[in-house]
Amino acid sequence: MWQYILRRFTYMIFTVWIISLITFAVIQLPPGDYVSTMVSQMINSGMDELPPDFEQEVRAQYGLDQPIYVQYYKWMRNIIRDGEFGYSWIYRRDAKDIMVERLPASFAISAFSVLFIWMIALPIGIYSAVKQYSLADYTFTLIGFIGLAVPNFLFALILLFISYKYMDQAMIGLYSQKYETAPWSLAKFWDLVKHLWIPVVIIGTSGTAGLIRTMRANLLDELNKPYVDTARSKGLSETTLLWRYPVRHALNPFISTIGWILPSLIAGELIVSIVLNLPTSGPVIFNSLMDQDMYVAAGFILILSTLTVLGTFISDLMLALLDPRIRLS
Amino acid sequence: MTTPLLEVTDLKIHFFTDEGVVKAVDGVDLTIERGKTLCLVGESGCGKSVTSRAFMQIIRKPGKLVDGSMLYRFKKDDGTDEIIDLAKLDPKGKPIRQIRGQEIAMIFQEPMTSLSLMHTVGQQITELIRLHTGATKHEARNRAIEMLQRVGIPKPDRLIDEYPFRLSGGMRQRAMIAMALSCNPTMLIADEPTTALDVTTQAQILDLMLELQNDYGMALLFITHDLGVVAEIADDVAVMYLGKIVERSDADTIFNNPKHPYTQALLRSIPKIAMQRDELEPIKGMVPSPFRRPVNICQFQPRCNQRFEACSRVEPVSTLINENHSVRCLLYEDVAAVHQADTEAVAHG
Repeated sequence: MWQYILRRFTYMIFTVWIISLITFAVIQLPPGDYVSTMVSQMINSGMDELPPDFEQEVRAQYGLDQPIYVQYYKWMRNIIRDGEFGYSWIYRRDAKDIMVERLPASFAISAFSVLFIWMIALPIGIYSAVKQYSLADYTFTLIGFIGLAVPNFLFALILLFISYKYMDQAMIGLYSQKYETAPWSLAKFWDLVKHLWIPVVIIGTSGTAGLIRTMRANLLDELNKPYVDTARSKGLSETTLLWRYPVRHALNPFISTIGWILPSLIAGELIVSIVLNLPTSGPVIFNSLMDQDMYVAAGFILILSTLTVLGTFISDLMLALLDPRIRLS
Repeated sequence: MTTPLLEVTDLKIHFFTDEGVVKAVDGVDLTIERGKTLCLVGESGCGKSVTSRAFMQIIRKPGKLVDGSMLYRFKKDDGTDEIIDLAKLDPKGKPIRQIRGQEIAMIFQEPMTSLSLMHTVGQQITELIRLHTGATKHEARNRAIEMLQRVGIPKPDRLIDEYPFRLSGGMRQRAMIAMALSCNPTMLIADEPTTALDVTTQAQILDLMLELQNDYGMALLFITHDLGVVAEIADDVAVMYLGKIVERSDADTIFNNPKHPYTQALLRSIPKIAMQRDELEPIKGMVPSPFRRPVNICQFQPRCNQRFEACSRVEPVSTLINENHSVRCLLYEDVAAVHQADTEAVAHG
């Protein structure tokens, strides 16, 4: 068991390191850098006479003239030693501050979305499997697929319209105006919950259909296993035996994939956040990539990847706790 | 003759598939006596497992019990008998659930997949004990350890907390038997319990089951295709072919004086020691596809070496040769009656 944990942990550290390398390299891939973006903006805004070595000087000032591995080394050193993620040229602030500001909202939305998806999809998946080919099975499948097929931005606009028309409230942002800068209080939290449900439902529905199908398929496989017959032959009631045996077996694949949900949620959150004007990470990552604000982009991607890997690690641990075959072998 | 524990009449179980209806069990009559062993014998796919599952109402979808009665003589606490028709009970209802595990218990073929690998042996046994006896956790655990010890598992107090995948096949099947017997059932169904085990273990498990039957006095319905096993344990034998019982008698009669051509062929196909390899005589032909079974004629006729002209036109009925021996074959039916049916069949075209 401890060996298993140690091995997983080593893999995790190694994976994060590889990710940091790839992240840094990929961000450098597009032609030009922030300085060339800046220069072309200055020329566009009417400055035709720039000093001849202006570009060179700015590059030297930011360390952009150095070879990529030196830049990578300094970036990593600062993160590990000082927890500094570099400087944002666009926001003219530390990248770290922007991350601290934006990431919590993203995680709140992601966490609630996962909860929402699980609470909706698992019971429906179980029900659909037990009542296979029934009217309810088909109905849930249909609804699930509609949720999957409707683009998030469209769904966001529709909910926005409904909330504005029938609830007299534009559900834009995460807080109402009066709470925007207010200190934390129960009222502010309630206000947050009132706003949060829209992005959670939008992001959640697209993930629900897939999970319903997976749960249904997993459980259908398990329902015909001989151990279910054994349980039934003992005289257990259908409900008890369903939860105690096949559902328990069918849950394993989910637990091992909890960690992978995060990236797809962040990707889904991006569009919804732009439409609903939410102060989350998605739009910032998007803009920083567009404008080559490389330290912001690299920092966000690194943190999100690390958390994904960490999530996978945690699901490995949970799986080991739940499945004796892993724990004891 | 004593009063039977279970009396099955005209049991029919059909599977409603997209390709058509499969009559897996098509009019089975059986009686099981208290404390006796009945072996249900037949090739794969003849419906013997499905029949046994019907007694507990655990037939898998899309199978459905469509007809027949299964009269079970239930001994009440005050010593009187109550007769319950198991066929009339709701498969999900409480009455049948109280019979399962407590009155009738079952041992399955594959101990690896028939036990849940995510629950310990102890969890799976105590669950059953607590369900039917209302014992406390502690009492149930003691009872489970006692049962594991009884079936010959070494260090039962440690093994009870093991997971089935850490046990050998033989140990798993022993645990399965311990579980089945933990509530002292009146009848035990064993569905090919030794098929998945190696030969030495098979013999051990078989001996164990006989010993336990002696001790506990339960009726045993043993399903197998292995006639060697039948010879060793059976009081009575029922031979099944394509969803029907073709011959039924006590074990002696079946082995020494078999009447049905199928039973005779089965017995000829057993390899014996000191026999040349090429002397083995397999039954010719194959079990027909479930959708292309002969209807209203003798079902074994295409593979039979004693068939005569009427076999492909008349369906044999179960005939009593003597009080204790019935055969479903035209060879033993009243010739006049056969002739009568014969002419009727011709008349109907």
